[in-house]
Amino acid sequence: MTTKKVEVQQAVMAADLSYAQKIKDRLKEKGILMVNLIGSPGSGKTTLLEKTLGKDGLRAAVIEGDVATDRDAKRIEATGVPSIQINTNGGCHLEANWVDSTIDKLPLDELDIIFVENVGNLVCPAEFDIGEDHKVAISSVPEGPDKPLKYPLLFTEASAVVLTKTDLLPYVPFDLDLYWGDVGKLNPKAKRLDMSCVKGEGLEEWSRILRGWLEEKRNG
Amino acid sequence: MSLVSAILESLEKMVDENGWSSVKSVTLKVGAMRQVIPDVMKFAFDVSVKGTPMEGAELAIISVPIKFSCRGCGARWGEEELGYLCPFCGGTNVDMDQGMELELESLEVQER
Repeated sequence: MTTKKVEVQQAVMAADLSYAQKIKDRLKEKGILMVNLIGSPGSGKTTLLEKTLGKDGLRAAVIEGDVATDRDAKRIEATGVPSIQINTNGGCHLEANWVDSTIDKLPLDELDIIFVENVGNLVCPAEFDIGEDHKVAISSVPEGPDKPLKYPLLFTEASAVVLTKTDLLPYVPFDLDLYWGDVGKLNPKAKRLDMSCVKGEGLEEWSRILRGWLEEKRNG
Repeated sequence: MSLVSAILESLEKMVDENGWSSVKSVTLKVGAMRQVIPDVMKFAFDVSVKGTPMEGAELAIISVPIKFSCRGCGARWGEEELGYLCPFCGGTNVDMDQGMELELESLEVQER
């Protein structure tokens, strides 16, 4: 028996990336936009979806990623939009192979957009390409303004950054200039959006962004 | 933890294909943007390899710092100026040249 050194130089996530590519190809063929919503537990991802679904004329479906329970999926179902739950059983994010095996259960011929509500977490979901067209970073006023620099990968990967619960600004110390300044340093190209689902602020612009992305996808 | 699972999956495949009897050490390149804490990854690796040909293998992690370059003015800078805004010309046409690596660099293996 001999010991030898082997040079490998191999990307670890290659298998996952091939699933992501398969999803991208499938959705391109169908002209469906996929948007991956990433934020902490309680940042307002499900509420944003409730306020979005069925209200802007886009035919949508939702893939719900959660560690446990189908509570969010039930909230989505109540909007009348098709949804599929993936329980990760402890896993902290969704991976492309799971999304791939889920996607054909959706009525793809009747859809404009698939939202993926990722597991509530600012770290791992940003690491994994699940075949989406855009990642959206969602963080809320009560979480504090320091999230972009503490979790830079998500904010650099995101095509749009949504700051939710801005109706709480009068009650919670939150430095808007610091927050948006850091987002601007990390990712000057990201669309920036202040949002209050309670007051209905920012929802029209959110809708415009989604429509713009869909148009880009279908024309590009 | 799922990064560790992905690493183990790659290793198991290589062990199968090459017919090695065990893996003695694994060297991994991890970019600083990968949000990996080396001690946590080593712990997860040690726990996960039990009962596999990688059991007892040492995991060495080479940390790759973040580096940016600006397509506008050609400047290069590192993570002390973290950002996609060029600190020299203010341009936004910026590439991250390194920092997202997650690569198996080399292995020490025992042949049959």
